[in-house]
Amino acid sequence: MKKLLVCIKQVPDMESRFKVNTDGTWYEETDLAWRMNEYDEYAVEQAVQLKEQLGEAELTVLCIGPDRVKETIKKALAMGADRGVHMTDNESHLRDPLAIASMIADFARQQDFELIFTGMQSQDRGSAQVGVLVAELLGIPALTTLVEFAYDQGTITAKRELEGGSRALVSCSTPALVTCQLGLNRPRYPTLPNIMKAKKKELASLPVTDLKLPPAQLKTAAMAPPPKRGSARILEGDTGDVAAQLAAVIKEKM
Amino acid sequence: MDFALHDEHKLMRDMVRDFAETEVRPSAAERDESERFDRHLMFERLAELGLTGIIFPEEYGGAGADYLSYAIAVEELSRVCASTGVTLSAHLSLGANPLYLFGSEDQKQRFLVPLARGETLGAFALTESGAGSDAGGTRTTAVRNGDSWILNGSKNFITNGGDADTYIVLARSDGSAEKHRGISAFIVEKGTDGFHFGKKERKLGIRSSPTMELVFDNCRIPACNLLGEEGQGFKIAMITLDGGRIGIAAQALGIAQGAFEAAVNYAKERKQFDQPIHQFQGVLFKLADMATQIEAARLLVYQAAWRAGNGLSFAQQAAMAKMYAADVAMQVTTEAVQVFGGYGYTRDFPVERMMRDAKITQIYEGTNEIHRLVIGSSLVR
Ligand SMILES: Cc1cc2nc3c(=O)[nH]c(=O)nc-3n(C[C@H](O)[C@H](O)[C@H](O)COP(=O)(O)OP(=O)(O)OC[C@H]3O[C@@H](n4cnc5c(N)ncnc54)[C@H](O)[C@@H]3O)c2cc1C
Repeated sequence: MKKLLVCIKQVPDMESRFKVNTDGTWYEETDLAWRMNEYDEYAVEQAVQLKEQLGEAELTVLCIGPDRVKETIKKALAMGADRGVHMTDNESHLRDPLAIASMIADFARQQDFELIFTGMQSQDRGSAQVGVLVAELLGIPALTTLVEFAYDQGTITAKRELEGGSRALVSCSTPALVTCQLGLNRPRYPTLPNIMKAKKKELASLPVTDLKLPPAQLKTAAMAPPPKRGSARILEGDTGDVAAQLAAVIKEKM
Repeated sequence: MDFALHDEHKLMRDMVRDFAETEVRPSAAERDESERFDRHLMFERLAELGLTGIIFPEEYGGAGADYLSYAIAVEELSRVCASTGVTLSAHLSLGANPLYLFGSEDQKQRFLVPLARGETLGAFALTESGAGSDAGGTRTTAVRNGDSWILNGSKNFITNGGDADTYIVLARSDGSAEKHRGISAFIVEKGTDGFHFGKKERKLGIRSSPTMELVFDNCRIPACNLLGEEGQGFKIAMITLDGGRIGIAAQALGIAQGAFEAAVNYAKERKQFDQPIHQFQGVLFKLADMATQIEAARLLVYQAAWRAGNGLSFAQQAAMAKMYAADVAMQVTTEAVQVFGGYGYTRDFPVERMMRDAKITQIYEGTNEIHRLVIGSSLVR
């Protein structure tokens, strides 16, 4: 039976009003509502679709963080993952991408996952490094920023999103790691019966204290909201010019 | 004491909100305007999300979740569209729940399972033109004839009427018995000979939810469609409505929440006298009062639902929650229109619809006056 892994992160609801914390390096966590990182929803959906395609496969969902992240793991279980692994870590928000990637790689090394799915980046930290570093630590290929995905007998064929709206067709053989871009698929709703059934699925807790973590290579010195300035961009030229510029902007953002 | 929602409640709230925002909200104004019930969106999609049988055990096609989950689902739907909220509430707690509470195993298999799965839509018919608050005044008759019951009379103001497939109908089966004891409950399927639909109401609010008259003209149903015991109908209706009130209370809460959020956003954007209007204390105090009333209503509604889900008595709490949340919905939506000024009075903004929708919550499933009467009389008994 093939084994699949999807790595997810819990982030604050992006509609929240963020306050920088007292030491000025992260946001204040009190009074925030928490969600699954949006990119990871696409990763979970793709992993579940692959599991359904394979028929026989076991999908594990892994999340690092304090106790509250269990809720997000349960969402992934309700979307179709088979078992949850919670790496209990109250300090996860202080760790650099290499430390997080090392924890995931340590966990994944002992199992042989055919495929590992992650989001392209997190909505709060946004380093876009964790997935790629996990692949490197495990010595497997990484395909990033996927907007299309197909798997057939050990080969992934996928499209990556490039700047300016173009796409690259890439393929590689498994085991491999893929990072998922928004729009890769349509993440399913965790239906109420599936939310209820998820209660009965295995959710194991692993303390991270036993792991040897690499020393931090990055440290956040300070975090602050950008200075306020007008967000409008004025397009100039004759009507045809302006229309072309506008079309280019829209195309780039899509 | 613990006020925290379980992870399951939070996940289901997020799921229903996500669905409501992306699928229900976009057509809410149009459906209101054209008085259009969209069965696919307002019922079949709910079935796909597992919401049509929230509180029933899995063996009866339900999700095996609790009353609080049910309240949260109705609240979240009503936050964007009160018509969708009441469709679920009337289906689940009025149409399906009496079958769960009083049905025989055979009736549960035949009627409850498809209702819970959302294959059929349910409705509940108690009110008549002459029997509103005084539900014991039911005049529709049921006469036993061999292996059948024959129904004659009419019911009005029936939510989901016309579109529903399965109806719980209260009728007088014993003309000689004392008023409340002569009533029985029956299961009537759409399409039965002698069962017709009369006038569809044209309403102030919840216009996307159909409200219809039912007419029984020598309508013959099999004897096995008697729900519970003969003469137990009034009791069945009252117990059914106790649970139903949690749904209406949640509907009122959701309407208030939706109007409140719209008002806060508008108060931050709208500028007069060179400043956002929330900077006027007169506006800000309104918002503070709305927020506080909603919070109080939510605590009452969730408490009633929590009691119902934990097997504790809840009739009194559900009555208080329904009455209070309905009054809050009316006050909050009225003030939300005020915050929007002239724009709030137009159909270009949703608070106009929400104010019209709020009014019904003070009227149906027991008017607020009747609730005050019942709560009050229990205090001096
Ligand atoms: C949109 C809509 C949907 C509905 N859906 C359903 C449904 O699905 N199934 C169903 O069976 N019914 C349904 N109803 C009926 C609803 O429950 C009744 O309208 C309600 O119970 C009130 O009855 P009534 O309209 O006859 O008013 P009345 O009972 O005539 O009341 C008129 C006024 O007198 C007051 N009043 C009456 N008696 C007393 C008293 N003893 N003390 C003080 N004040 C009193 C009332 O509070 C009210 O203000 C629906 C109604 C509407 C409008």
